[in-house]
Amino acid sequence: MSILKLSILELTRRPKKNMVIASAIVISVALLTSLSIVSDSANLAIMEIIAKTGHTLTVRPAVSSASADAKEGSSEFKLTTSEVVLGSYIPETAVPEIMKYYEKAIKEGWEKKGGLVSNPGIPGIYLEPATWAPRLFEKAEVDGSEAIVTGIDIHKEYFVRFWWSLTCGNWPSNVTTMNVNTNISAIYTMSSDGKVAVDKAEYGVDSSSGRVIAVEKKAAKTEMHGKTHKAAPMRPMETMEGWDDAYLGGAYAKARDLKLGDKLAVNKTAFTVRGILEETNSADDYMVFIPLRTAQRLFHKEGFISLVSVRAMCPNCPVGDAMVELNKNVTGITAVSQLDVAGVQFDFFNMLYKFLLAVVVSTIAVGIFSIFNIVTGSLYARIREIGMLKAIGASRFQLFSIFIFEHFILGLAAGIGGYLLGLGMAYILNTLLDIGAVIQIAPNFIWRALLLGIVCSIVAIIYPAYKLSKLKITETFRTQWET
Amino acid sequence: MSEFIETRGLKKIYCVGEQSVEALKGVDLEIAQGDFVVFMGHSGSGKTTLVSTIGGLTRPTEGTVLIEGNDIWKLNDKQLSNFRNRKIGFMFQAFSLLPTLNVLNNVVMPLIFSNASQKKDTDRLRSKAISLLADLEMEKKINSFPSELSGGEQRRVAIARALINDPEIILADEPTGELDIRTEREVMDIFSHINDTYQKTLIVVSHSLTWLEKAKTIIVMKEGLLFKDVDDPVEAIMEGVCKR
Repeated sequence: MSILKLSILELTRRPKKNMVIASAIVISVALLTSLSIVSDSANLAIMEIIAKTGHTLTVRPAVSSASADAKEGSSEFKLTTSEVVLGSYIPETAVPEIMKYYEKAIKEGWEKKGGLVSNPGIPGIYLEPATWAPRLFEKAEVDGSEAIVTGIDIHKEYFVRFWWSLTCGNWPSNVTTMNVNTNISAIYTMSSDGKVAVDKAEYGVDSSSGRVIAVEKKAAKTEMHGKTHKAAPMRPMETMEGWDDAYLGGAYAKARDLKLGDKLAVNKTAFTVRGILEETNSADDYMVFIPLRTAQRLFHKEGFISLVSVRAMCPNCPVGDAMVELNKNVTGITAVSQLDVAGVQFDFFNMLYKFLLAVVVSTIAVGIFSIFNIVTGSLYARIREIGMLKAIGASRFQLFSIFIFEHFILGLAAGIGGYLLGLGMAYILNTLLDIGAVIQIAPNFIWRALLLGIVCSIVAIIYPAYKLSKLKITETFRTQWET
Repeated sequence: MSEFIETRGLKKIYCVGEQSVEALKGVDLEIAQGDFVVFMGHSGSGKTTLVSTIGGLTRPTEGTVLIEGNDIWKLNDKQLSNFRNRKIGFMFQAFSLLPTLNVLNNVVMPLIFSNASQKKDTDRLRSKAISLLADLEMEKKINSFPSELSGGEQRRVAIARALINDPEIILADEPTGELDIRTEREVMDIFSHINDTYQKTLIVVSHSLTWLEKAKTIIVMKEGLLFKDVDDPVEAIMEGVCKR
């Protein structure tokens, strides 16, 4: 026998009351845990988006009704309308002008910021080439239902959306039809004196795989401070094989139960499913992708695109400067920095988190108060037993320890329960609110949940336990030990 | 028998709201080691207050309680807890046993609060508990829980618990309250057995006149004063007055 064992046995004595106390703690812990998990996961998801698209500018036609148009056509598939522009177009001829201002802004901005200044100790940094990818969005009838069909140049698209991968199927292997040289406009190199050299990128065909690869250019390999810095190798890629190839967003394929090799009618023109994309929690998941040229012909939009995504993978890339430059100098377009969009989302989530946190903290405070009331009642019901324990030699500290142990164990168990419930709630919230976060079992949340459970339980008991441990023995026997 | 427990000018005043009640009015008392004392008297006569003051449960308003010459009310909380744990075995009328513990664990419970539970002699004391329970004819019930025991059996367990730390004094408040006559006699026999066999000093508070035939010393109390060695305790109790 020990005080700990005595505490455990005492806990089993009042299962109903302890269940009520534990439930209050479980709910408090679960609320805070689910909120923290969802918030952290959502923040991580946003950070991931920033990591992926942080240096990407989306250039769209300068229209205000684009979102509304898109909303109408996309409600069925929950499209993220911020990326989709329907009914407004940019002429393809505007792309060189866009790229000219973009590159100018990046070069000047980077020189102004000073790659060397912002990256002390690194004598030279290569800027990966700025790349761009056009898209043409159209609302079309796909197998009898309305859907967003997106015309893409898959080679360029693959450069910009480097995180794309297929759950089944293959990327096109015919490389000869692609004009790859227009994809990457330049390779930037900053020397130790802060000057940026701009070189045209070159491409070749990998003899073993037959894939188009960006090859390392000699000019991009420079001796700086005795060290050789190599530009990151370009990713291997393949190009569209046929005009009637279709690639499907993962969610769209799932919703329509489409598989590799299935036929698909887009405005009565047959396409074959060549690949299904892995879900990325973006609008892409709900789209049907067909070759850009085919889309332009099919929708009678030859020479037009809906938007251009421009990606510049460089450290501290001044995309904000580029956005300002483009919006100032190129008419008929609106450039939006994905970093800014993500930032707004980030701020929104932070604000929502703080608000919900205040609600949860209030709930916890009410919970602790309720536990305090139950515990006080429960302890006072044990008042004679406490007197007996004191009479047989329990010191004030030992009595206090019994109560604390009891509630430590209760809080610990409730903390575990609360964490598990919170994890479940996080999954449900994530699904119901379509947050798109990846819910993970994080050790720091487990510790926090256990700590909160224990603190809630002990905070509620500390005062009544202190008062009771100080109680005079005869007060506990008032009715028995008559005077 | 040498003097063992001594009280001098013991007073206890309870404040109930704005009123004060003088439960003990300057009690002088000597109890010898190995004595078997029964305090009798009407409800409110102060007997329980006196006994609880001797047991280190109720702090007196005035006066001293000397056990083996030491004033127990000069001890701090920890020392007093230790004193109760080691020197005194308590028996209460009700709420005596913890329902979550079996008989054996109820008996060894005082060991939790003494250093014994952390020492090697824990096993020895458990054996002692079993031996005590056997002495009280409870050896077959060591794994039973209080709810499975009769009133008399519960008292026996409480007695065994009171004896586990080998205290020199056993204080019992109404140990036979709510018991039938047969069980009451059994408990009294046990008390006599303890007094004879273990040479413990027994101090019992009771209303039951049956104790008169077992006790070595009868002390009658009335209105906070005590009457010792009365000629006819029954008469004294009934009348509430007797010569000092």
